Order: sequence, then structure tokens, then C-alpha cells
Amino acid sequence: MLETFNNLLLGFSVALSPSVLVYAFVGCIIGTLVGMMPGLGPLAGISLLLPATFGLNPIIAIVLLSGVYYGAMYGGSTTSILMRIPGEAASVMTCVDGYAMTQNGRAGPALAIAAIGSFIAGTAGVVGLMLLAPTLAEFALRFGPPEYTALLMMGLFILAYMSGGSMLKTLAMAGLGLMLGMIGIDAMSGYTRFSFDLVELGDGVGIVPVAVGLFGISEILLTAGQDAAPKVQNPKLHDLIPSREEFRLSVGPIARGSLLGFMIGIIPGSAHIISSFVSYGIERRMSKHPERFGKGAIEGVAGPESANNAAASGAFVPMMALGIPTSPVTAVMIAAIMVHGISPGPLLISQQPELFWGFVASMYVGNVVLLVLNLPMVGLFVNLLRIPYAYLYPCILAFCILGTYSVSNSMIDVWIMLIMGGIGYVLRKFDYDLAPVALGLVLSPMLELSLRQSLAMSAGDYGIFLERPIATTMLGLGVLLFLLSIKPLIFKSKDWRSKVGLDEVEG
Amino acid sequence: MRSDQFSGLMLLLLALYLGWQNRAYPVGSLQEPGPGYMPLLLAVFLGATGLLIALWGGKSKPLAAIRWSGAMRALVIMVASAVGAFALEHIGYRITVIALLIFFLGVIERRRPLPVLLVSFGFGLISFYVVGDLLHVPLPRSPWGF
Amino acid sequence: MKARLIFAASLLALAGAPAAAQEVFPNHSITMIVPFPPGGVADITGRPTAAAMEKVLKQPVAVVNRPGAGGAVGNAAVANAKPDGYTILMALSSISVIPAADELFNRKPAYSLDQFAPIALISADPTILVVHPSLPVKSLKELVALAKSKPGQMSYSSSGVYGALHMPMEMFLHATKLKMRHVPTTGGGPAITAVLGGHVEMTAGGPAAISGHVKAGKLRPIVSWGAQRHPAYPEVPTFKELGYKDVEYYIWAGMFAPRATPEPVMKVLRDAARKAAEDPDFRSAMAKVNSPVQYMDAPEFQKYWEADAKRLAALVKIVGKVETK
Repeated sequence: MLETFNNLLLGFSVALSPSVLVYAFVGCIIGTLVGMMPGLGPLAGISLLLPATFGLNPIIAIVLLSGVYYGAMYGGSTTSILMRIPGEAASVMTCVDGYAMTQNGRAGPALAIAAIGSFIAGTAGVVGLMLLAPTLAEFALRFGPPEYTALLMMGLFILAYMSGGSMLKTLAMAGLGLMLGMIGIDAMSGYTRFSFDLVELGDGVGIVPVAVGLFGISEILLTAGQDAAPKVQNPKLHDLIPSREEFRLSVGPIARGSLLGFMIGIIPGSAHIISSFVSYGIERRMSKHPERFGKGAIEGVAGPESANNAAASGAFVPMMALGIPTSPVTAVMIAAIMVHGISPGPLLISQQPELFWGFVASMYVGNVVLLVLNLPMVGLFVNLLRIPYAYLYPCILAFCILGTYSVSNSMIDVWIMLIMGGIGYVLRKFDYDLAPVALGLVLSPMLELSLRQSLAMSAGDYGIFLERPIATTMLGLGVLLFLLSIKPLIFKSKDWRSKVGLDEVEG
Repeated sequence: MRSDQFSGLMLLLLALYLGWQNRAYPVGSLQEPGPGYMPLLLAVFLGATGLLIALWGGKSKPLAAIRWSGAMRALVIMVASAVGAFALEHIGYRITVIALLIFFLGVIERRRPLPVLLVSFGFGLISFYVVGDLLHVPLPRSPWGF
Repeated sequence: MKARLIFAASLLALAGAPAAAQEVFPNHSITMIVPFPPGGVADITGRPTAAAMEKVLKQPVAVVNRPGAGGAVGNAAVANAKPDGYTILMALSSISVIPAADELFNRKPAYSLDQFAPIALISADPTILVVHPSLPVKSLKELVALAKSKPGQMSYSSSGVYGALHMPMEMFLHATKLKMRHVPTTGGGPAITAVLGGHVEMTAGGPAAISGHVKAGKLRPIVSWGAQRHPAYPEVPTFKELGYKDVEYYIWAGMFAPRATPEPVMKVLRDAARKAAEDPDFRSAMAKVNSPVQYMDAPEFQKYWEADAKRLAALVKIVGKVETK
């Protein structure tokens, strides 16, 4: 304990040196700006800045990049809440209730809770990273393909709780998303599937253009299509601060989201996106008034936002403790330190204590910087809503095109975004919920690959899922959740129809 | 025809089409799933949910009750964006975005000329400066270098 | 070919370069396309190369990442670019595998190899076979014996089917007539993670990517695919030493221009690449990422590339037949 404290002191002596502090600030500001651009998320942000860090020393490079990462995570939630445009996959859930809150005139509290939740989750994540990194990292390595399959199956079962509409329609949309995820080169066999002879579709359909299209563009089409211009909001000061009630409702979701996000974040792979979905599902399930979800429930903002920030910190555990990239973002960060001749690996913490502890301390600093930066900005952001919609939406559209183009300098993403916007528009007219599409798209390539990897490991023996304790436990949990969700169908046969069928939509 | 019946049938049709397209990929076996395995499973799932939605959709609102009043405008916005996306790689980012904004603000929304020009040029040039010059994203330029 | 030249020439004229023949190359910025996302081998090699070439050419060399389809998107973009020398490619060895795989699956080929003219080879790292330390083998001989004793039961991970880490493993298995289970992942990082976690027994890893783990004793290097022993792993023997003559594989990074690029322009680019390769700053930057410069000029590189491509294309066919049986 004392050793940790001493190390942390060393870390703070690094992080609080003026030059490092300045870079942490700059990183957070750039990150927030990049994240606020529709379609540009954390990965795009740090990829853009990576070349600029080659000239800096490794500690400053990693502090700058992690500042950008955090900033972009937070910036993404701003556009999600105000304009229903997710900057990255993790903000998809924030769009649902965050934007609904904006429409109810509660944009300020939504932004404030997102900032506070991110701060708490981020700080909790750093504490976890500091105290548990080596232990947890060993645990994370035990997540092989079978465990991954089980985790993703659990994510699928959670789907059933996701939407307030009819379960059938939710499942159909999940199916559509899962199907979208099948596009591209199959990693196991090399076949290119459903690519319409476009080379660019070889890597599949990106989540960012799909999410921006389904949520952002469809919203513009719906709103701008109306005959009467939408009312311009005039937020007052007391509308900016969350009410006592809203604070009370957010405590639980933030705590649960932080824990959940951190646990999912440390698992190698790109699954930390599902932390926000799972958090949303859990909050909706635990709430006494699940019907508020989707219509502006603050828990639906607090939970997923905390979860995705905690997952962001969690992802640094295997990166720092083992030197393995668990996500595209950490892969870029590892590249940033490798360029300086530091090879990431299990010895990094002991050989480069200044780097590790400086990084940990700068994460504390970064979180504080973000909070200090963003809470006062809530007022400014909310005032964006005063801009008449006629001026706002063409600019948002142009931004969306710009943002999706910049992710991989490719027009195909812009086309995907526009097509998805049209599809989203029609589906919303028919009362379909779009979040399951995004979740399905993220899940299906990972699920398919890990299932087939597991079978390749065992030469086709499904017993592999039953002889590994973590996988078995998670599958059991998933089945239990699934049974709970269909319980009403069996025991209350009277209103089964309203649960599975379509009547609820009408009501 | 009810709206859910219609949309359910559409999903079923989509699933059938995808299942048909999927015949090009080997399905493999339960022990060794091939590239066509998961898509086939998903197409069946999508088709089944589509069919159930259609079957149970008898009480949903009539298809005719969905209001498409804004659809014309939405379509114009979509087409304009598509034209803009197409033009992006040919006449460059700045010209495209400025033209697109002038079209949206001036033609569709019928705003006064001065603010329209200010916003269009301001947005086009400033966003190019920030993203293209400061963030070094190679945004498309026109053949004339602008 | 002639038609393409004329087409290219007319494009040049359209672009408003009437005096192109007299003008010095380059007179504006050059774009170097990296067909992988930032942070990958191609990117880490491309950026210092671009910086070093900038100093020689006195014009900016901008690195543009065009990722997609395992490099096929960026490669195709350069293959079809205006052949004026202002668009060049930093490709990895996978450039030769993609057309062969396209052929195997009856895909519309993204590009063909004769659309490229090599400029220079920048680096070539042999892959190194690493096993989980719990595996009771210390040498290739023991590994082969163990694998022979349980055919089809040991497993290895790769960066994806036909990927840079799959091909060397297939080469090894083909030469030793061994059978193993193949567990493809989505990249070099996840492939190593799978071995670290003990989910598979071995993989082929790049020297830079495995170095931290080897030092910490979490991975055990067995044998290298290089022609000579790798300087960072002097105690690791090569397949060649151990009698496997044809088992040689490098993950290399080289620069290409579109085939129809005029000869004088190519000369400028080749000279720039040579001077860049001699630049001490560049050499130290490459040494830092554990990927020492292995410069080869165009004629030599062309020969090397042709042999490599032939070997890989043949291998893809052999593997392909196994997979689609």
C-alpha cells in the first residue's frame, strides 16, 4: 500500500509538472472538439494526433493521447444528447434518452449528469487500474474465444430488455443489425460476403457511419420534413442544473455503470462497446418505471455514460500491465510508445515506472480537467439549441459528411451513412426501434468469429463451453436472464400478447 | 393492409433475398460452421420475426394512417446530400459544402441572402481550415487546387 | 498498355500541366498512401520514411491512411492513381497475397501486381515462431516431434486467414507435413494475446511485437523464418539452418508507384528513397521500433518481390485447396 502511495507520488510529480499539465489540457480540449464533430470519435481523434506525438517524449505523448481519448468520449456524448448524433458506438445508448431529455427541455441536466458520471467512472477506473492492474490483467488473459462467445451471448440476451416497444420488433431489428455485421471478408475462411463487388466493403460496415445515419440523419429528415419549424428552446439557468430528484436517480446507475464498464473494459477485444448497452438494459430492468426509458429517463444517460468511460479506463489495464492492445484505441497508443523505443510488455510497469505512474496520475488530472472544462460549458452547449433549426440542420449534415469521410478517408462511409439515414427514416415511420440495429451490427462479427474460433480450438466439440468455468458461468447467467425475460409469457398467460406482440406500440 | 403487416412482410422478403444470396457461401456443419452458416441462421431468424410481426400485426394502425407529409422534403434533403457526396471527390470539399449549404438555406429554407452567404462561406472555409489544415485530414480538393 | 499511357498522358494534360516534361519533379506535395490504420507496421514505417524523403525532395510528403479489406483498398487506390509520381504506396508483403486470394474465391480482383512499379524495399522482418512457456519444447525438433505425436490437436493463432502471420505458419506446416488447428484472429495483437492466454499453443510473431513478452518470459521463441539469425534474437536458430531450405518468410514494407509512372520521375523517387535510407535520423527511428532498415533499390527489390509473390501465390493455392475440400 505504502509502495503504491510512493509510486503515485512519483506519478503526480510527473503529471503535475507544467509541461505535462499543459499537454493534458490541450489533449482534453482537442479531444472534446473532435468528439463534438458528428462522426468523429475517440479513435479518429487519437489517430489524427498520433503523428504529432512522434516528436514528443513518450510520457507527454501518452498523456496527450489519453487526454484526447477522454475528451472525445465526453465530446461524443454532447452531440448525442443535443443532436442525436453518436460520435462513436459507445454513445448510441446516450442518444436515446439523452436526446429525449433535450426535447423535454432538460438538455442541461443530461449534459451535466453525463459529465459527472464520466468523471466518477473515470476516477473509479483509474483507482482500479492503479491497485489491481497486474492481478486483473492475468485474469483478463483467461478470456479466450469460448469466454468471449459466452460474454457476447449474454449481451444478446440483454437485448430483450432494451426497448420499451414490442419485443418482436426489437428482435427483428437486432436480426437486421446482426445481418449487417455479416458484410465483409469472413476472417475464418477468407470469403467476401454480401459486398456487392465493392472492395471497400471488405472490412465490413463501420459502426460509426451506420449509427450516425440511423440516429442523426433520420432525425434530421424527420424534423426538417415537418411543415412547422420546431420550436427554438430558450433554456433558463435553473434548467441547466440537475434537480435533486435527478441526482438521486443517477447515483445507482453511475455506481453500477462504473463497475460494469470497468469489468468489461479489461477484457481483451473490442467488446467494451457492449458495456453501455448492458448498462442501459440493466437500468431499465431495475427501474420501478421502465416505461420512462426512451422518453427521457436520466438513468438512461447516467448508466451508459459511466459504463463507457469506466470501460475506457479498464481497457488500459491489459495495455499497461501486459502490453497487449485490447481495442483499436489502445493499439494506437501502444504504437505511440513503441515509436520511442519502449516495447510494451509485462515488464513495462517495473521498467518504466515514470511512464506508468505518470500516466495513472495524469488520468486523475485529465478527469478533473474534463470536469472543470465541461461543467461550465454545459450552458454554452445548451445555447446551441437557440440557433434556428433551419440554420442548424444543414450545418449538422455537412458536419456528418465531413466526419464520416475523415474516419478512413473514404467516400463509401459517407454513402453508408446516407443510405442508413433513409432506412432509419422509413423504419421510424413504422415504429421500429433503431438501437438494436447498432448493437447487432457490433456484436455479430465478434460473436461469429469467437464461436468459430472456439470450435476450431476444440475441433468442433461444443463441450469447450462447459469445461471452462468462466464461460459456463456466463452462459448460465445469460440463460437465467433469458428465462426471466420470458417468465411473464409463461406465468401471466393473460397479457402475454401485450408483451410479445404489438399492442403496446399502439397504446 | 396494416402497417405492421406491411413492414413484417418487407422484412420477410429481405430475409428471403438474403437467404438466396447466401447460397454462394458454404454453410459447413454444426461442428465446423462455414462462412454461410451464420448468415443463413440470421436470415431464418429475421424471416421468422418478420412473419410473426406480419401475423400479429392485425391490430396495428392502417398503412394509410402513416403520414408521409414531410417525406417530399426529406427526399429532397437526401437527394441533395447524395449529389453533394458525389460531388465531394470531384470538385473538392469547400466548393461542395458551400454549394450544399447555399442550396439548403437559400432554396429549401428560403432564408435571406446575406445570412445564407455568411453561414455557407463561413462554415465551408472554417471547417476546412480546422479539419483539413489543423487536423491534417486530406479532404478532397477540386482539380483547381481549391 | 499503350492505351493506358495515352490515357494517362491525357489526364496529365487535363490536370493543367502543359509543360510537364520540362517541369522539375516534384513541384508540389506528394501523397504516400498507407493501406492500414495508424499505428500498424506500414504506418510506423511509412511516417519516418515520408519525413526522411521530405528532406531530400524539398516538398512535403503527406501520409494518408486508406485502410480497408486487409490493405486491398489502399493498394487498389494507388494502382489506379494518376501515374505522375505524386501518389506512392507504402505496402506490406500482403500486397502479393491479395490478388491470389481474389483469384481463389472468384472475386473481382481489386488490382493486379503488374499495376505497380517498385521504388524501394524499406524493411523486412522475419517472423519468429513463439510458443506458450508451458509447452514442454525448447527447440524446433522437440516441437515437431510433439506435434507429430498428436496430429491435428495442437493449435496456432494467426492475424487472419491468408494474413501476414498465417502464411509463414502454413509454410512451416507444409514443409514438415504437420497438421494443426488454425485459429484466425483479427490482427497481430490478438494473435499474440491468444498465445499469452494459453488458448492456443503457438503463433508466428513479428520481432517487435513479441520482444516485451519474450523478455518477460511469457513467450518462448523457437525458430525464425529469416535467412540469417535476427540481431535481437541471436540465440534463435533459423529454419534454413535446421535444414528447411524453402521455409523463409519476411513481413516486408516497400514503396511502390503506379506502373505507368515515367522513368525520370521514378529515378527521382528512387534516389530520394536511397538517400532517405541513409539518413541517420531515419535509421535510428526505425531501429527504435525494432525494425532495422533493409534497403533495396528497385531492380533488386523487383526480383525479390517476384520470388516472394510466386512463393506466396503457390502457398495460397495449396492452403485454399485444403480449406475448401
